[in-house]
Amino acid sequence: MKSGEKVNVLLHIAGIIGLAVVPLVIENAYYMGIVNLILIYTILCMGLNLILGYTGLLSLGHAAFYGIGGYATAILMTRYGFSFLPSLIISGLLALIFGMLLGIPTRKVRGDYFCLLTIAFGEIFRLVAQAWIPFTGGAMGIVGIPIPKLFAWTIRSETDFYYLGLILVGFTYLSVALLTLSRFGRAFVAIREDELAASVMGINTPAYKILAFSIGSFYAGLAGSYLAVYQTTITPSSFRLDESCLMIIMVIVGGMGSLLAPISGVIIMTLATEAFRSLADYRMLIIGVIMVTVLLFRPQGLFGTAAFKD
Amino acid sequence: MVLLETRQLLKHFGGIMAVNEISLSIGKGEILGMIGPNGSGKSTFVNLLTGIYTPDKGRTLFKNRDITTLPVHRITEIGIARTFQNLRIFQNISVLTNILIGRHSQIKNSLWDVYLRPLSAWKREKAAREKAMEFLELAHLADRANELAKNLPYGEQRLLEICRALASEPELLLLDEPCAGMNPVEMDTLAEFIQRIKAAGTTVFIIEHNMRFIMSVAERIIVLNMGKKFKEGSPLEIQSDSGVQSIYLGEEEDI
Repeated sequence: MKSGEKVNVLLHIAGIIGLAVVPLVIENAYYMGIVNLILIYTILCMGLNLILGYTGLLSLGHAAFYGIGGYATAILMTRYGFSFLPSLIISGLLALIFGMLLGIPTRKVRGDYFCLLTIAFGEIFRLVAQAWIPFTGGAMGIVGIPIPKLFAWTIRSETDFYYLGLILVGFTYLSVALLTLSRFGRAFVAIREDELAASVMGINTPAYKILAFSIGSFYAGLAGSYLAVYQTTITPSSFRLDESCLMIIMVIVGGMGSLLAPISGVIIMTLATEAFRSLADYRMLIIGVIMVTVLLFRPQGLFGTAAFKD
Repeated sequence: MVLLETRQLLKHFGGIMAVNEISLSIGKGEILGMIGPNGSGKSTFVNLLTGIYTPDKGRTLFKNRDITTLPVHRITEIGIARTFQNLRIFQNISVLTNILIGRHSQIKNSLWDVYLRPLSAWKREKAAREKAMEFLELAHLADRANELAKNLPYGEQRLLEICRALASEPELLLLDEPCAGMNPVEMDTLAEFIQRIKAAGTTVFIIEHNMRFIMSVAERIIVLNMGKKFKEGSPLEIQSDSGVQSIYLGEEEDI
């Protein structure tokens, strides 16, 4: 093993230990709640980064896939008696399938139209969730989602949910890393940099765009499933366009197109949202100021790759 | 042996006949040149061969197989690689990654391998990296492997683009005006590089504007004018042809 690799392995071990002891340090349930929120957004933003940062597709519909996962788990667990693990997997796969269904017709449209179509999809999803009352419970949503169990482990406290979130983040991190370090990840970057040149390299660009989009959506489905059991309720208001925008801001502030960079954006934006909660309406103003400041001084985001420098 | 053959390829854009029934064949192992004044249809012709445009009429055969309507990425997979007139390397990524992207179709990892057999996938990745370094060594770029492509000097960026095309191990390499914007020293390096590519067994088809360069590299030259094949012959025959001279008169000083 080279010394660089050794340092890398040590950093990972230190990181895992550090993350494992977080609940011992933070005993306050409110703060643990914020940490759990950070975990949810981390899963969402790692998926979105695959779509936006690696492949260069500006999707404003990520909240819809988050919602598909949330509703899938809520409905399966409350009405059909599914336990948590199968609901989680089905939620992810359902989001993936919807990602594919949206990816297929939009695979050849230009960037700005793609963006508009994803906004439309997100709005359609939210309106259907609001209007299809017998199935989704309308604006009141679905309540009373049971306490999840993973084999013998009952997930009840904030700390339990922290560890569940950590497992999901770990899974997301590993699988996204495997993908981005393969020829698939390179193909995504090639598409972002120059789609025509990418196709001349033997990359089936429409197929790879659908692939990036559906895999990215898969993680949103997982996050939605987690949200459902964590909040025990699911309502359409959690999946509005603002949510999609917030995720995009997180990815951009953290840094697009690199594996861990979006996490920094997630942490800053979640903490800012919580810290300025008392300012109510002015909160969004402060978030805007943070974003503009970061983009002025570090256009590639806090830890982004050089590709977005100018 | 004929490697690639076109039969009456025709492409028009509205009323403009960009490529008008061009038939030609490229023999295995040769260096074929194509020249012609601006707007004579050279680039359109390359775009027809590589599937970026679909011809309105005519057919393209590669190793006796009809490839006229194949999509761009399939044409690369079956063994035709190309470069662009206006340099299209991936600027913001490393030189090595550029080559690895060029090698996309040769790295046989499926999604299944990536997720569920990461060890064997990683072995193939490692082999691909070593192979990519060999291509960089061919162009004397190996020591710049980890630099961003945009930080290379212009001439080296051109060589990188050719290396990236070679990384897919093509049987036919199409170079679209490879020395556009190069200085004479860089041109000599390029000419020598192309000879080495040919020596390694790759057939090369060069579109070029620069007469001096094409005369020194190509073994056979086709002249286009107004979308039509005007003349075909050895560099010497083309050089001394009065018709070719009149096409170029006043445009190219070193005939």
